[in-house]
Order: sequence, then C-alpha cells, then structure tokens
Amino acid sequence: MGRTYPPTAPYEVSAAKIAEFAAALGDPNPAYSGEAPVAPPTFAAVIGAAAWDGLFADPELDLSLERVVHADQTFVWHRPLRAGDTVTGALNIDKVRCRGAMEIVGVTVRVATLEGEPVVDSSSTFVHTRATS
Amino acid sequence: MSIEVGTQIGELAISLTRAQLVRYAGASTDFNPIHWSDRAASALGLEGVIAHGMLTLGTALRVVTDWVGDPAAVRRYSARFTHPVVVPDDDEGAEVRCVGTVSAVAEDSVTVTIEVTCGGQKVLGAVTAEVSRKGLQ
Repeated sequence: MGRTYPPTAPYEVSAAKIAEFAAALGDPNPAYSGEAPVAPPTFAAVIGAAAWDGLFADPELDLSLERVVHADQTFVWHRPLRAGDTVTGALNIDKVRCRGAMEIVGVTVRVATLEGEPVVDSSSTFVHTRATS
Repeated sequence: MSIEVGTQIGELAISLTRAQLVRYAGASTDFNPIHWSDRAASALGLEGVIAHGMLTLGTALRVVTDWVGDPAAVRRYSARFTHPVVVPDDDEGAEVRCVGTVSAVAEDSVTVTIEVTCGGQKVLGAVTAEVSRKGLQ
C-alpha cells in the first residue's frame, strides 16, 4: 500500500492512434479527426493498461491478470490528451483490503507530460481472487 | 435549452459486436481473452465472450460528448462495473442502451447521470460525468 511504480515508458499520442481508438468506439465526433485532434476521454485507458502491466508483473504482489475483475473506474481530467503529447503513467497503490481469498486493490495511474503537467488521473478498483490449492 | 436537474440530454442505442470487441482490444491493448475467446470466458464461469468494461464505459460517455460537442469539456467520469455485457457471435451483437439525465448543476459545471442497460439489465452502476459549463451555451 502506498507503493508507487516507476512511470511507464514515454508514450507519444498520434493522430492515427486517436483515429483508431475513436473508430473502435464507433464514435464519429469530429474532434477526434482533422488537423489537431484530441483523444476520446477514455483513451487514457491505453496508458493505464501499460501502467497496470507493471503492477501485474510485480513478483512481490503475485497478482494474476486472469484472476482480476475490474470493479470500478474514475477518470479526472486536467486537460484533454492531444495528438503530439508525449506522456507517461505512474501507478500508485491507494488501498488494499483482504476478504478471505479476495483482495480488493485500489490504484491510481497519474498520466502527465514529460514536463510534469498533469493530464488525467485514472483510478481503478480491482478484485483479485487468489488461486485455491 | 435550459439545463436543470432532471433534463434528459439524450439517449443512445449501440450494438456491440464481436468485430467491435476485436477492434477495441487492438486499440486499447486490452487483450484479455475473455473478450474474444468463448473458451476463456466460460473457464471463468461467464456465459460467453463479454465486452471490455472500458468499451461499455467509453460508449456510454458518447451520450455526454454528443450533447456538449467538445469532448474536452469532460472533467470527471466514474462508474461501477456491475454486470457483464455478453456479446453473442452473430451479426446483431448486444445492444447497449444509454440514457443521460442532468443530476446536478453548479456554477461552472453540470453533472450527468447515465443509465446503461443491456437487454433490460443494468450493466454499469453510478455512472456520472461532470462537464464544464464553458462548452454549453
């Protein structure tokens, strides 16, 4: 608890990836295309996923992605993510509660530019069930 | 349009198909097999392949971004994943219905609550989005 992981490798947001993500959502909003597109708000999940990889790869926690259920999600935006931004995501474990073989883990990924300007905070609660042997 | 608590801002019915799940897996980099393999889904006790929670979440937010126009106006968005959206392997997929209603009005922001259902079953809980009033004329 309170553990913070090193930020993810810098991620450059491209117009092509924004278009791909918007198409995957089936969302034709013109803000996602053109000269200076912004990313759909939930695009933050792309950087969040990279940060979660570090959490699930931590041998000390021994969490398995296959045994995780995403229980809730909150995004707080400081500004929109735009094509051309290069950002990293730093994951912090906010809380861990144990209930029998279940662990309820709350994490926040803070997405910021390389200059340190905050872009979006993505908080998630996961329910992890330990394998019973 | 006057914006007050109870104002319905819009509704949306979107069909999520297996093809869209594959697309979203690639775009989001969430390759959890429960979103593309019936075998993996049933191993976890699910009826079948389910939609990514974040896909349902992103789809529901369209009610709000279609309303404000500018997606950059969204400041905060939260939801609980209460029930999986099972997506059958057919052309119709699973229809997700979203209805947005203003639930709070402040000086510089409006909060919208979105009801998200699939086949009459609520699939997301406590879905709220806060948008800046700047985008709303």
